[in-house]
Formats: sequence, structure tokens, C-alpha cells
Amino acid sequence: MRSIPVSAADPAPLLAVEGLKVHFHTRDGVVRAVDGVDFQVAAGQTLGIVGESGSGKTVSSLTLLRLAPPPAKIVAGRVMFEGEDLLTQSDKRLAEIRGRRMAMIFQNPATSLNPVLSIGSQLTEILRWHTGASAKAARERAAELLALVGISDPVARLRQYPHELSGGMKQRVGIARALLCEPSLLLADEPTTALDVTIQAQILDLLADLRQRLGMAMVLVTHDMGVVARMADRITVMYAGRVCETADAVTIFNAPQHPYTRALLESVPRVDHSYSGARRVLPSIAGRPPDLLHAPPGCRFHDRCPEATAECRQVMPREHVVAAGHTVSCLRRGSPGESAP
Amino acid sequence: METRLAPPSGIWRQSWYRFRRNRAGVIGLFLVALVVLTAIVGPFFAPYDPNDHSAMMRGASNAAPGAVNLFGTDRNGYDVLSRGIYGAPTALAVGLGAMVIASIIGVLVGGVAGYVGGFTDEALMRGTEFFMVVPVFVVILAVVRLFGIMVVGTPLERIPNLNLMTIILLLGLFSWPQVARMTRAEFLRLRHAEFVEAARCIGTTPREILFRHILPNALPPLIVLVALGVGGAILAEAMVSFLGFGDPKSISWGQMLFFNYQSLKVAPWACLVPGAAIFVTVLGFNLLADGLTDAFNPRVRS
Amino acid sequence: MTPLPDAPLLDVRGLRKHYKVLKRALFGRRQARIVRAVDDISFVLQAGQTLGLVGESGCGKTTAARSILDLVRADAGEIRLDGQDVRPILAGADRAAMLGVRRRMQYVFQDPYLSLNPRWTIDEALREPLRVHAAQDQQGWKERIAALLETVGLEPRHGVRYPHEFSGGQRQRVGIARALAVGPDVVLLDEPVSSLDISVRAQILNLLAELQDRLGVAYVYISHDLSSVRFISTHVAVMYLGRIVEIGAVDEIFARPRHHYTAALISAIPPPSPGAVDKRVHLLGEVPSAIDRPTGCAFHPRCAAALPICREIDPALQPTGPNSQAACHNPA
Repeated sequence: MRSIPVSAADPAPLLAVEGLKVHFHTRDGVVRAVDGVDFQVAAGQTLGIVGESGSGKTVSSLTLLRLAPPPAKIVAGRVMFEGEDLLTQSDKRLAEIRGRRMAMIFQNPATSLNPVLSIGSQLTEILRWHTGASAKAARERAAELLALVGISDPVARLRQYPHELSGGMKQRVGIARALLCEPSLLLADEPTTALDVTIQAQILDLLADLRQRLGMAMVLVTHDMGVVARMADRITVMYAGRVCETADAVTIFNAPQHPYTRALLESVPRVDHSYSGARRVLPSIAGRPPDLLHAPPGCRFHDRCPEATAECRQVMPREHVVAAGHTVSCLRRGSPGESAP
Repeated sequence: METRLAPPSGIWRQSWYRFRRNRAGVIGLFLVALVVLTAIVGPFFAPYDPNDHSAMMRGASNAAPGAVNLFGTDRNGYDVLSRGIYGAPTALAVGLGAMVIASIIGVLVGGVAGYVGGFTDEALMRGTEFFMVVPVFVVILAVVRLFGIMVVGTPLERIPNLNLMTIILLLGLFSWPQVARMTRAEFLRLRHAEFVEAARCIGTTPREILFRHILPNALPPLIVLVALGVGGAILAEAMVSFLGFGDPKSISWGQMLFFNYQSLKVAPWACLVPGAAIFVTVLGFNLLADGLTDAFNPRVRS
Repeated sequence: MTPLPDAPLLDVRGLRKHYKVLKRALFGRRQARIVRAVDDISFVLQAGQTLGLVGESGCGKTTAARSILDLVRADAGEIRLDGQDVRPILAGADRAAMLGVRRRMQYVFQDPYLSLNPRWTIDEALREPLRVHAAQDQQGWKERIAALLETVGLEPRHGVRYPHEFSGGQRQRVGIARALAVGPDVVLLDEPVSSLDISVRAQILNLLAELQDRLGVAYVYISHDLSSVRFISTHVAVMYLGRIVEIGAVDEIFARPRHHYTAALISAIPPPSPGAVDKRVHLLGEVPSAIDRPTGCAFHPRCAAALPICREIDPALQPTGPNSQAACHNPA
């Protein structure tokens, strides 16, 4: 098992994903949704996983808790979390970890809460199950957390039902639910995509504040470069089931190495940039992501890459360290080719 | 996850491609084909006239299956195999006839309700609900019996299979509410579909929108419903006939059961054959409907 | 239609669409409440310009655009095309006149998958506008469709395929081609890139910009994504609860937003650069429902700069710069 050091000062990360492969067995063949992915998260750190739809970012994050729905199948890899491999644990052990040590915030706050249960019972149920707290203690703790996520009049809210809350409020309840047992790692899959920009800003503020106050680590999955710039310490860029580049946030934005990372950053129009006068052209990436049912040989990005050579069409690049804490998978950046499977 | 199929293009051809992958659907299609084939060519191969009960005169009723009568004879001396074969066209006539009537009324009522909306919709749907709460069997039994008495002595009496046609008509008249509700739901969904709005933007006439955009897209779930309904109508006719309210002049599986259930211990084959025929036919249409559901759903995977 | 001299291409005046909703309290009587989805909005669009219509969900931007093309029937207002009010024509019985208007204004929908008939090939989808408008003899259609596909960056041989055989970006190209088929002067674009992946968004935005430069078509670009609005628009109108609260030249408004809601919207977008200085204008609470529209300035409960007058009097649009107007008693 190869491992890539996150940084010299961090020998044992909180979470280490190694060689993860998740395949979808469909009637039409095998879809290699996640095809050999490595990343690490240190305690208290926020890792942003960025990619487009089909990049495997959501499947990777769901797999951490073995929540990826069928026909997804974990084919290979390890998910080391607090010293144990989650992929080999029993379902019972995993249930103890879920929600308690590692919790999740979902993309759609409207569907992630049970519509027929009051906010109070949804929150206290988890607490009582994980910690065996008394009903009274659980209610107090739930109210405390609702206050923490900025919900006014928390005791009254416990009696309300999801439909009585706005979208932003529901997402706050979702966050409170995730924080109930003070997990050491929070998984957030596009936590603000379904929300309006002004509400998104409020939720991002809240997450940033909570992370600081509770010292939690976070895995933030998103396609929004602005969100990841605001939140992440480190960023992993994924494309077509593979990791392209991993580095700290400043390096990703200021000195990206992988051609895909560069192109992705350039293709986003900026609200603080005037486009009038000049010819309006955004640098865009031609073509579209590959069909993972028939993944091309070689580098997955080669057919859209301006720098691709003949070698890129044949050889799959492996991750390699270009600087301390900065890894890139690109043959043109000195990556070695992957040995034949 | 974006996964793309690389199969044949064309909506119907792709549906067929997906249909073939549903084993239940393929079995259903096979069973239905078997019944249809029996109905069409079976009569040419039937060993006896289905109305020939001369065996009774020879004291050969309730004869066990053998070389003379492949599936035996029943208590009236009919050849079970021949009568079973002649039951197939009756069953199909009932199933298809009832569903043709139900589809015409249902699509018209549901379509108007869904497309026009407003008060028309309310009125039509309340009417539809009335037809749904009527106890169908009681009405069919009563009408068949009363009608049977009323036509005696009138020229109507000479129409062949009049009772059967009455049953088909009544089954059709009470099966359309499901079709109407499904049609209405589809029309409501499609009326505000973006591609319909796009057509309105272009200036396409309402009539063209209805017939070129909405109707073709509403068809797939209706076809599934009708396939299920055919099985249901066949079963319903069998039940009516089994209760002795069937058409004595036509040959139906339900009626074979009615004539023979009392001799079940003596001649089980006389009940088993029509029973199996009903089972195979209804199962066939249900499995076919299951396959069609998959065929029309492009999102079906694995 | 003879254009009046000096009349703007599209001149929307006092457009209004209210919905009645029946709200029933437990055991109570039904109460009719009014949702002011679009409440007297006005704007002007010149040939070759793009007006970005922005706001959060429920602000009425889509209803406004739909009522311009009579997809939703407006309650009041004028929609002047070259000086002539086309609202009665679109709602009227004169089919030839109606088609004449529709030839000049077209719509591109948000979700290109839903806006294409799944049972039609791309060729059939593009043939519909040609058939309805009988623009040419049938022999010319084939070439016209091929030319349209090429215009939007697809190949003519793609025409035999069905929508589900395309990616989202390609489908949106088809949606744009269908809108362009009748040669419109104004195209209303309803969130045309928000359902697409980031790398594909840039392609479609570039295509829209290029088409505008080449064909001189004017756009109304509806979006909640201010970055793309900044890229594509020459002018921008910010909507809040059914009203335009700020309108003007795009650079003027983005460089110095005067309405506090505009400022908050712009600053709420996290810039794609880590460690950027937070210059956020913080907003209190969430968007109220359009049923319970606050009195006075509808924005006052969330506004940090609200004055006592803001609770009483609804501000009108006032000039705030050479090419901009804002509806605010206490502009920034």
C-alpha cells in the first residue's frame, strides 16, 4: 500500500482513504465511478473535494460511511478513520461510528429530515441511541445545539415539524443533528447548493464558526470554487473517478499544476471582474467528461487537455509529490505511469 | 452519475431493447403470444366440435384423459381440449373488447379533464369517482340477468352471443375510470411540461400540441394500464360466468368451471384445463405489463 | 409591424402578475391571499443588449419572463416591441399577428432535458418552428436545420438523435438553436446554464456571447448566479419580492451597488480565491414570503441601514448614477 504524506508534520491523519475503488455494476457494464482515490484529512482540518458531476466526489464521500447506494460496490481500498478500517468493520460497529464519530450533512435539507417527526424527536432520538442520555437531558442538549446553529427560540422549535421551517432553517437543523454527538469529522456533501446565495453565505459562516469552536475536521464536497476557497484548508480536485491534484487551498488557487485544475479555475466567470468592452470569451474546456462505462485508456483528461501528448493517451498517470503537501497526477508534471493492473 | 447507453436509437426500438432485458416481460409476451396463437389457429386443430356432446349419449362423460380425448371429457360429454381451445378467442374478445371500450372512454374523459382543467375537470372527475364506487359485479349480474329476460321474444334475441357482448360492454363501462384518471394525471403533468411550453412559445396550435406532444408522451403508462386491464377483464368475465351469469351460447373458461366444479372429484381435468388457461392468460398479461413498465422507463438499470 | 422611430426594441411597462392562493386555517374559513409574484416592473431593452434579471428564488424573475411571452397571462402592463404593445396580440385570436410577435421573441428554458420532447429527434424538434412559421418551402428546411445546428456548435449528423442521447450542454445548444430558428430579435434565457456542469457552463456562455455579437440579438438573461450575469449582461435588474429594486448598467451596479440588497447579493458570493478579505454585507433573516410582503420597503426587515421611513413608505426607483436607478431611501 502506497501512501502519500499530507505534510511532514502530520504522521497519523484522522482520516486516510487509500486506493479506494467503487464500481457500479450495471446491465451495460462496469462503471468505474471511483477508480483508485487517495486522500487524507488531519484532525481539525477541512478538506474540500472539488469536481463536476460524474467525477466521483459524492460517491467517494458516501463510501466513507459505506452509504453509497447499490449498485455501487466497493472493489478495493481502505478507509482508515481513528485507527480502524471502516470498510472491514461490522455493520454494528459502523452504526456506532455513524453520527457519533463521523456525521453527515446532506445536500437537500428538505428531504434529509423526516417530515412526520418533530424536530425534537429527530434530534433526541439520535442522542439517546448513541449516548443513552435521558429524555430530558437529550432535549436540553438538542435545544442547546439549535441555539448553537443560530436558531432562535430553540425550545419552541423542538416541537415544530420540518415543513414549518424555511430551507435555510432546515439546513441549520441538519447541521445541529450532525453535531449532536460532537463528531471528530463532519461530511458535508454540497451543503449549500440547494440554497439561495444570501442563505448560503449564512450557512458557510455558521460552518466556519462551528469548525473553529468545536475543532472538528470536515470533508466538504462541492462543485463551487468560491465555496471551497472560502472553507477549505486543503483541496482535492477530482475528475472522472480519479484525483488530479491535491494541495493546500492557496496553492490550488494560486499555483495549480494540473491542466484540469487550471482550466476549471479559469472557466468560472467572476463577479468582481468587468467583461464589458473586451470581447467576451471565457477560457473553457472543450468537450465533456468521459463516459465512465467506456473510460478512455491513459489519463482520463487527455482528450480535453491542451497539453496532452501521445503518452497521455496510453499511460495512466500516478499521483506524485511536486512539493511538500502538493501532489499531482499528470505525466507532463513528472508523474510516473501506473503499472498495468 | 452519468452513464450513457449505447443501444439502438429510436424511442420504440430502445423500449424493445429494454423490454427484452426484463425476463418476466419476455415470459409474459410468450404466454400472451401462446394464447393469441391458440385463439387464431387453435380451432383448425381442435379434435372435436366444441359443441359436440355426443359422448354423453355414449355414456362417455367424465372420461379420463386418453387417446380418444386428450384432456378427457367433462360431465356434459364435451371434449375438454376442444372447448378449452375455443375458450381462447372468447377470452381475448372479452379482454381486448372491454379494454378498447375502456380506453376510448377513459382517454376522452381523462384527456378533456386534464387538458381543459377547471370546472370541467372537477365535474368529470366526480363523475369518474361515481363509476369507481359502483359495485361492478352486482351491477353486471343484475343487468345481464334482466337484459336476458327483456330480450326474450324480441328480434334482439337472434343476435349471436348477445349476452357475451353485454358483459364486454359492461366490463368496459366500469373499467374506464382507471384509464381516465391515469390519462388526466399524464395530461396535467404534460400540459405544463417545459417542452409543451416551448411549443406554445413557438406558436404551435393547441390542437397540434395535444396530438403531437401530449398524447404520444402520455401513451406509455396507458399501454401498461391497458395490458393489466385486459387480464383483469378476462378474470372478471370468468367470475361472472362461473357464477352462472355467462353467455350460454358462447364457450368461456369461466363457464366450463361453472359446469364442472360439482364433478371436481370425479373429473378434475374438466376444471383444471380451463383453470390453467385462465391462469396462464391473466399471468401473461400481468407479466407483459410489468415488462412494458420497464420498457417505457429509460432510467431502469441493472 | 412598423417600428416607431426611436422606440426601444423591448419596453416593458408596469408588468404585473398576482396569484390568488386559498389558505385555510384549521376549522377556519378559506381566506384568499394575494401573492404579488410580479408587481409593476418596467425595463427597457435595446437591440444587441443583454438585461440580466437577478434575484433569489421566489423573487418573480421567472414569472416576469414567462408573462412577457404570455406563457403566464399577466394581469396588467404593456409589453412594447418597437413601440407596439404586443400583450393583447399574444393573448388575442389573430393567429398571424401572434406568430408575427413570436417570430421576434423566443424563450430558452432552464432544463434542456425537460424542454425537448423526448420522443422527437433533434431534427424534428427544429423542424417544428419552421413548420409553424412556414418560413420556407420544405426543401429549404433541411439546409436551415443543418445551418442552425452548426450555428450552435453541433454537427448536422447529430440531427437524427434523440435528446437523451446528448449531454446536458449539447441539449442546451439544441434549445438555443430552436429559439434561433425563427430569427428572433429578443431571446429570453431562463437560467440557461444553471443545470450544467461548470466546464460546460463556460462553453454555453461563450456561445451565447458569440451569437449575440454575430446576430445582434438582444437577451433577457434570468439567473440567480451573479457571476454569469456579470459576464453576459450589459444591464442588470435586481428583483426582490416581485419588484425591481435596482436597475442599470452592469459595471456601474456591480462596482457600486446602491441598494443594500444588491450589495448583500454581490458580497454573498464567495470569491474563488482563498483568504480573500471578507467585505460581506450581512443580511438579517431570510426572504419573507410574497404573501406576507412587509409594509413600506419590502426589504426593510433585513436591511442594516433601514430608517424609520423605510417601514412606512415604499421607495420608488430614483436615479443613483448616470445609468442606474435604485429604490432605496438610504442608498449606500
